Amino acid sequence: MLNDIQTWINVAAYTGGGMAMGLGAIGAAIGEGYTAAQANAAVSRNTELSGDILKSMLVGQAIAESASIFALVIAILLLFLSVSNPSLLTAAALFGGGLCMGFGAIGSGVGSGFPAGQACKGLVRQPQVAGKLTTNMLIGSAVCQTPAIFSMVVALMLIFIDFSGAPLLPTWAALIGAGLSTGLAAIGSGFGGGLAAGASCEGVARQPETVGNVTTIMLIGQAVSQTASIFGLLISFVLMFKSYPESAALTASMCLLAAGISSGFGGIGPGIGNGMAAEGAVRWVARDVENAGGLMRTMLVGQAVSQSTAIYAMVVSLCLIFVV
Amino acid sequence: MEDLGRIYQLIIPVMGHNITLNLDVILMTWIVIALLLVFGYLTVRNRGVRPHGLQILGEMFVSQLYALTEDALDKEMAKKYAPLITALFMFLLLCNWIGMIPHMHEPTKDLNTPLSLGIMGFFIAHYAGIKSKGIKQYLKEYCEPIFLMAPLNVIGELSKIISISFRLFGNIMGGAIIVLVVSYLVYSIILPPFLIAFFSIFIGAIQAFVFTMLTVVYISVQVK
Repeated sequence: MLNDIQTWINVAAYTGGGMAMGLGAIGAAIGEGYTAAQANAAVSRNTELSGDILKSMLVGQAIAESASIFALVIAILLLFLSVSNPSLLTAAALFGGGLCMGFGAIGSGVGSGFPAGQACKGLVRQPQVAGKLTTNMLIGSAVCQTPAIFSMVVALMLIFIDFSGAPLLPTWAALIGAGLSTGLAAIGSGFGGGLAAGASCEGVARQPETVGNVTTIMLIGQAVSQTASIFGLLISFVLMFKSYPESAALTASMCLLAAGISSGFGGIGPGIGNGMAAEGAVRWVARDVENAGGLMRTMLVGQAVSQSTAIYAMVVSLCLIFVV
Repeated sequence: MEDLGRIYQLIIPVMGHNITLNLDVILMTWIVIALLLVFGYLTVRNRGVRPHGLQILGEMFVSQLYALTEDALDKEMAKKYAPLITALFMFLLLCNWIGMIPHMHEPTKDLNTPLSLGIMGFFIAHYAGIKSKGIKQYLKEYCEPIFLMAPLNVIGELSKIISISFRLFGNIMGGAIIVLVVSYLVYSIILPPFLIAFFSIFIGAIQAFVFTMLTVVYISVQVK
């Protein structure tokens, strides 16, 4: 029975779907809880605004939820999709897609809770800038979703593109590695982008007139902290679309799997670290807008240094794919 | 669903090598350029001291982007680089938005467009750096903190091209794929317009802005 291809595909689709939704539920729930906690603190400071705060909390939570809605879509696809051209590689691709979306939703879910929470808090501080604050929160948390969108794209590609022409033996590892690479690397970048967005909402509430500078630096900081997940995406594309010679040796498969693991785990730290750098820069630009240029340069240099570990991980991945 | 990853290509064999042209992308890029030229012509056609109509829109683009460039670079340098930055932003914005129209594709959905713009920005930034600091100081900065770090510094610089171009490519292509797959799943009922509003208009504008700002920032980091 274990040689039956359809059984393997079902096994992969069901476990992959379970992984996608199970892991994908972690992040958004934490982010929404953080938002609710900040909203509680805000209501206790000024009970008269409780209606506005509740509205702001619900909008923020709805956006934080989107990462796990992506995971839900992928999970449902995996559970109910019928495969047109079944082969053992399809099974590997489905499992990889599930893993990718599951891990990828964690960071963005937690991250987009920060801007929502800080927006609720800021609303109490400066009720008259509610409009600016909401716009800033929406931009910040939408950009936070980028790593989750990357993972959803890789998951959809793994599910829908027909890989069955490639040789089974090294390619199965490449497909699972492609899922792990983008999925794991998205954790750090989503979280880090959230830190920057949260600081910008706090900053807008403190100094509403700095909103232009604060939003620009937030976007640059978030963009740079997404670099880690972009390296993961690059490795995923290379793993998915390179053609491999058939080889029964276990080392060939393990090299490709390890390449995905390397760039995936390697991206977690730099994403969070770059987000912290961006958080600091955004927070202090809001207090000291005269020095925006200097603060931004310090942030970029610091981020470049903290990013170097992601670059080491990417170099090792590329070596594992092309050299070994 | 077969549209996923399909590209129309013209392959010309030249002396044993194949030159591949992505026809869709070339056509769409020229359409974007033509539309921008028309926009430019219309904004300056009836110029007046008191701006009206399209002139307001054109002046808004130019003045906002000049101000952003001046914030990052100083006034003298901004005069030189702001036209480039303004053109880059308007080109990218139209590229990202043109996919809203049925049967049109975003040129930025193909890696070739963002990658070539990223390489262009990289060379401009380094040219500006060499010009303002001198070649000696420029080369010396690669050997910091110790000269053993030089190869890693070079890789770090090169990875900027990868990150800036893949960020734009991943977002736009990701949006297009999600719109395509979800439209297929819901038989194009109700959801697609909202998805296009989010991915094409909102994310497209933000990513065009981010790409432009990062190009300015790369120049300013090299210069200072």
